[in-house]
Amino acid sequence: MVNDSGQLYTMEGVAAGVIMLLTAYIVISTTSIYTPGDTHIPDMQLEQLGSDVLAMMDTPDREGGTSQLVGFVKNGTETCGGNDLRNEFLTNCKMRAGDEDTKLRAQVYLSYRRTDGTVNTTPLSLPDPEFTGRENAVRVTRWVQLDGILPGIPDIEHSSRPRAVLVEVLLWRA
Amino acid sequence: MACMNEDGQWIVLMGLLTALGLFFLALIINQSALVGQTTAEGVLEFPKNDIRDLRSEIFDVYDSYGTLHAQGRLGDVEEDIIRISLERKNAVVHFGNDTPQDVSGRDLHPVTIHYNNGVTEYDEIVYY
Repeated sequence: MVNDSGQLYTMEGVAAGVIMLLTAYIVISTTSIYTPGDTHIPDMQLEQLGSDVLAMMDTPDREGGTSQLVGFVKNGTETCGGNDLRNEFLTNCKMRAGDEDTKLRAQVYLSYRRTDGTVNTTPLSLPDPEFTGRENAVRVTRWVQLDGILPGIPDIEHSSRPRAVLVEVLLWRA
Repeated sequence: MACMNEDGQWIVLMGLLTALGLFFLALIINQSALVGQTTAEGVLEFPKNDIRDLRSEIFDVYDSYGTLHAQGRLGDVEEDIIRISLERKNAVVHFGNDTPQDVSGRDLHPVTIHYNNGVTEYDEIVYY
């Protein structure tokens, strides 16, 4: 059955095979394959979502008004403060078509500068009981300008100077 | 090759083809582990939102420039932004404004913004 003739056909066959494999390789490499390395992409999307929601909450309803975010931050840890900020933030995050995203969690922190130059960071919302610290959380931030005396914010000096503070939100899916 | 046993050429040929095929498959699997990672990392690493937020905050500061300047509190707010950026965002930030200039018939302040977090450096002069 096997003889010496037809090597040219064989070579042609090999060449055709290599071309087909190359084609298959090019076709397959154009589509993406979901791998563990791709978990960065949901993180990226979560970060963008959080940033957008903070930016939206920091936009005043009318010219010259104060934004919702400033209103929450001003009250610090008191009523209508950090916890309500977190709830409102999460409600806004979930306000889109599709999945209800009930696993979304957030924690709000506030950073401000004291007179001695140190920067103090304090949690504004009550700690999430399920938070272990090992969650794949992303951090989104927003600068806010405050004025006046702010008794609701822990450890802040009670001088009524205009100040810029940083709202930090840790956002993760449980 | 002459005078050697020439049986089994098909097996050798198929073996060669299978080896080539496996080689390409291995190449694809090797690549797939990195698909998207460098892209996503590049995007996550680039502080787009930080820079946008900083810009809008600086514009907010210059919106209330008159009031802050009259109270002598401009420096306080500036230092807030610089110190908190360094402490919480690992970013060296500097900004300032200059005397207003006439730009197309409007008096606008040239505002310089500098941002550097060690990976990304951003400098801007914007007429605001």
